[in-house]
Amino acid sequence: MHGVLGANGAGKSTLFNVLGGLLRPDAGRVEVDGQPVTLASPRDAWRHGIGLVHQHFTLVPRLTVLENLALGTRGVAGRPAAVRRATRELMERTGLSVPLDEAVEGLGVGDRQRVEILKALQRDPRILVLDEPTAVLTPGEASGLFDLLRDLAADGRAVALVAHKIDEVLQASRRLTVLRDGATVLHCLREETTEAEIVRAMVGDDAVDAAALGLGRRVERESAGGSAASDRPAGSDRSASRDDGGPRHGPQPADGPSVVASLAAVRVDGRGGPGLDGVDLTVHAGEIVGVAGVDGNGQRELAAVLAGRRAPDGGTVHLCQAVGFISQDRSREGLVGDFDLTENVALAFHRRPEFQKGSWLRWDRLEEEAEAIRGRHDVQAPSVRTLARNLSGGNQQRVIVGRELAMAGELLVAENPTRGLDIAAAAFVHDELERLAAGGVAVVLISTDLDEVLALSHRVVAIARGRLQEVPGDRRSRKGVGSLMLGAETTHD
Amino acid sequence: MTEAPSQAVGRMRVAESVALAVAALVLTAGIGALLLLVGGYDPGAAAAAMVRGAFGSWTAFTSITLVRSVPLILTGLAVAFAFRAGVWNIGAEGQLYAGALAAVWVGLQGAALPAVLLVPLVLIASWVAGAFWALVPTLMRLRLGVGEVITTILMNFVGIYLAAYMVHGPLQERRGVFPQTDAIPEAGRLPALLPGTSLHWGFALSVVLAAALAVVLRYSRFGFRLRAVGASTEAASVAGRIDVRRVLLVAFLGSGAIAGMAGGVQISGVTFALYEDLSPGWGYTAIAVALLAGLNPVGVIVTGILFGALQAGAGAMQRDAGIPAAWVGVVEALVILAVLVIDRVRRRVSEEHS
Amino acid sequence: MNQAELVLFLEAAVRLGVPLALAALGETISERCGVINIGLEGSIIAGALGGALGALAFENALLGVGIGAFAGLLCALVFAVVAVGLGADQIITGTAVTLGGLGMTGAIYRARFGATGTELSLPTLTSVRIPGLADLPLVGTALFDQAVTAYLAYLLAPLLWYFLFRTPYGLELRAVGEAPDAAEAAGVQVVRVRFLATLFGGLLAGVAGAHLALAHTGTCAEHLTAGRGLIAIGVVVLGRWNPALVLAAALFFGAASAFQFFLQALGLEVAYQIFLALPYLLTLAALAGWVGRARAPAALALPWESKR
Repeated sequence: MHGVLGANGAGKSTLFNVLGGLLRPDAGRVEVDGQPVTLASPRDAWRHGIGLVHQHFTLVPRLTVLENLALGTRGVAGRPAAVRRATRELMERTGLSVPLDEAVEGLGVGDRQRVEILKALQRDPRILVLDEPTAVLTPGEASGLFDLLRDLAADGRAVALVAHKIDEVLQASRRLTVLRDGATVLHCLREETTEAEIVRAMVGDDAVDAAALGLGRRVERESAGGSAASDRPAGSDRSASRDDGGPRHGPQPADGPSVVASLAAVRVDGRGGPGLDGVDLTVHAGEIVGVAGVDGNGQRELAAVLAGRRAPDGGTVHLCQAVGFISQDRSREGLVGDFDLTENVALAFHRRPEFQKGSWLRWDRLEEEAEAIRGRHDVQAPSVRTLARNLSGGNQQRVIVGRELAMAGELLVAENPTRGLDIAAAAFVHDELERLAAGGVAVVLISTDLDEVLALSHRVVAIARGRLQEVPGDRRSRKGVGSLMLGAETTHD
Repeated sequence: MTEAPSQAVGRMRVAESVALAVAALVLTAGIGALLLLVGGYDPGAAAAAMVRGAFGSWTAFTSITLVRSVPLILTGLAVAFAFRAGVWNIGAEGQLYAGALAAVWVGLQGAALPAVLLVPLVLIASWVAGAFWALVPTLMRLRLGVGEVITTILMNFVGIYLAAYMVHGPLQERRGVFPQTDAIPEAGRLPALLPGTSLHWGFALSVVLAAALAVVLRYSRFGFRLRAVGASTEAASVAGRIDVRRVLLVAFLGSGAIAGMAGGVQISGVTFALYEDLSPGWGYTAIAVALLAGLNPVGVIVTGILFGALQAGAGAMQRDAGIPAAWVGVVEALVILAVLVIDRVRRRVSEEHS
Repeated sequence: MNQAELVLFLEAAVRLGVPLALAALGETISERCGVINIGLEGSIIAGALGGALGALAFENALLGVGIGAFAGLLCALVFAVVAVGLGADQIITGTAVTLGGLGMTGAIYRARFGATGTELSLPTLTSVRIPGLADLPLVGTALFDQAVTAYLAYLLAPLLWYFLFRTPYGLELRAVGEAPDAAEAAGVQVVRVRFLATLFGGLLAGVAGAHLALAHTGTCAEHLTAGRGLIAIGVVVLGRWNPALVLAAALFFGAASAFQFFLQALGLEVAYQIFLALPYLLTLAALAGWVGRARAPAALALPWESKR
């Protein structure tokens, strides 16, 4: 098993797409078994025995599992009966089981991933490449996946895992490759390197980058925890130091536990999901409440209710007036690509009396505000008249964060705010959130990134199937929260 | 289901917008000339006849071209307004007829009123009727999620047949000879704008409306919300905390009202009576007018006059160069396609560069 | 009304429904892969003119139908290049194609046949009577004593159903209409599929137009199509994008159009404009009532570009 690591933006997805024939390289060679090959389409990749398992599933929701598996196969082999037979055999061999005649849209995430894997295995690939396979799985489901991958590798196949989560990849892989800025910076066997070295390879030697959250802080924590720690060979049991209770400085909420938002027995009917099923939550000024959970357990509905966008179908909600909101889908929900910076800032402020004059907007003031945000958050843009779609992802997020911070009177709701951002941009977001909380504003951080939640939050809450469960201090660990994310009861681990 | 029409042609600076329009016109002229040659006609003669018919004399310009441009500007404004909000209003034709019907009815009913009252009443009636005609598609989109493209086009046909029914039946002239209504009284007619020409106050009204819409869209609160909704309903609703449905409702009905006004102005300023085939398809030409103007209200004035010239010149073209007037439809289609094609090519080129 | 009048009504219903069915079946295929072709109207009128010209040139109605089909395909080709090939907005492109198609055919018609009012006599598509079936009571002559194109419609409906739901190519087509990105990742050539489906739709629309010109009226008046392309799209929705149901819906609409004969036979005098408007009102009602339950292909009308 081969692990390919890299931070967001290092080039992992591009590499993945090249291997799968979805992207043509501008230079260089791809070789299979020592022979150079051209991968101009997915079919070429299949012919050379390469199978891809995508992160964002490439399944057609409205078709059944069987139809999805049949898609792309032509001729006699494509007939429903033949596909069914072949799939049954495959399911028996791999131990993966999925309902063949159900529409994909009705399946849960774990099942969908199983279908995605079956789809890749169908063509009997000698090389299986998976892109961020554990991103949508709970820790328990992830270990199940690794067991399966180990079996497949034992079968004589090559399995490559492309990811940015070090621990999981380390446990499973024999060989490692680290990408940074689109180039290979490290390539070796697992026992030949340490986790610290890997982290440094991923973020570079630049101290500024290394001070980023997650990776960087882990390095510092290890060095703070004793000199022996950072030289321990990679992959050995690290559970002791990683499960220390709480983030580094044990952030304390600012004084004055005034309640900024409270939800009592809130129910929201979710479309295509569990929605919210009787949720109680109180948020106090100056604290960061982290909501950890795997996608699709009600986070979107919770965010909508907290942001004041959605009235609950049951229960009561008390919210303060000005709530800032950082959406996880920044290009679709956070910004209007065709608007310039001033207009995008106006999205948040057009309701404020100080920016209005009767039925008109005070564009002069809005432009000033946009300039202020641009300066304050170091947005790389030629002017406030630059269109949002011409900014990089990181800069777009800076605009959104800056705008929502300025909007947030007492509460900010952030939904996966660092998703898809590179390390520097992610660090910026985390710094801003902490600064905001220190200044007395409440922050609700809803994230599928467990490390992010654990590192930043004063309080951690797990969300599963539309219900929240407060995580007591002694269970603040990946395992502890992970089992709560599955909705398991608190007693067993 | 569909991407918003305001994204169909990407947002550009004014200079880019004009460049696109000019390029589209050049492309249209080129392909049009080619097609004419294939058909055995003389493109040069066609163009010359057209220009002569539209601009050849002061009378031609004011009494024919500008007069013909008024319904095009108004329906163009209606379409541009709707498209900016993300509403596919292809129903300007039916809304126009509804407005014309209401205008005629009010005009005839109010024969005893003085002009200072009757003219505004006639126009207001056309707004209301136009908005009313857009109501069914609006409700079907907002309540039932039915795409408005097909529903507005269907309402066009219903509107045309309703008008036809009216002029053959209940509203037919007292004489009962032709399928048309009686003429509305003097008091209900728009006064002339330029003495000695047929150019009526409707032209001034449409220019003023265009300017007003431009200002509202650019600077007002509602205009901003409308543009946000048109650019991205998700961002408008989440980041902008905007009530998307209310904006869509106002935009849709407002667009219908403006299209209705086109009908009312045509009755009150030009024909004074309603008959079948009042409109040679202005509601559809309006799409070309709006797109070529980059959905900019002030630009619509220019493109509206341009298409007015086209239609004014068509008659001359048929007379002098022997090309059937229906050819104008081909030119309009070419303009739309040229705008779309050039815009796509431009976007692809810029994507490859970034 | 007596039996004879009812039979006349049914015959008219089928006669009016067949062109709708042909156009709608073609549109079903293109919509199933995510392309909504408002330019269908243009294809139909192109088919009518092509059919008329072809029939006159070859003095044979069937060859006229062939030319008409080709004309419809050409019209759809313009649409396909701009909307599918270049990824321009389908709605606006379709509207432009219809405008252009109407203008072009109007101009050619004028140039060729002179001013309005002259009626041509074109070779007509004679009715072909299917022995045995045509003797069925009531519906026999209505269904089985029609022009050849009607039988084409009857055959296409189950054939297309089988194609869509039981063959790998139909599966690919449906996948393209639901999730083109996923289809591409599975090795399907999305643009090619959409292109071919759109051309197919134009071809059938051309046949529909030729039928209108050649199968009974034997004339080619200018406003022949009168929005039938739009009604065809409504029929596709009513038929829930399922070829078998689409055929039934088209015949139902034909019946609605023929309704005026029914009422006249009953001795009722209603303004004929109401009848002209009836199909459109029905389509509106159908859209209002049925859309909630039927779901359009998820990627319908979304311009798509390869992510590669």
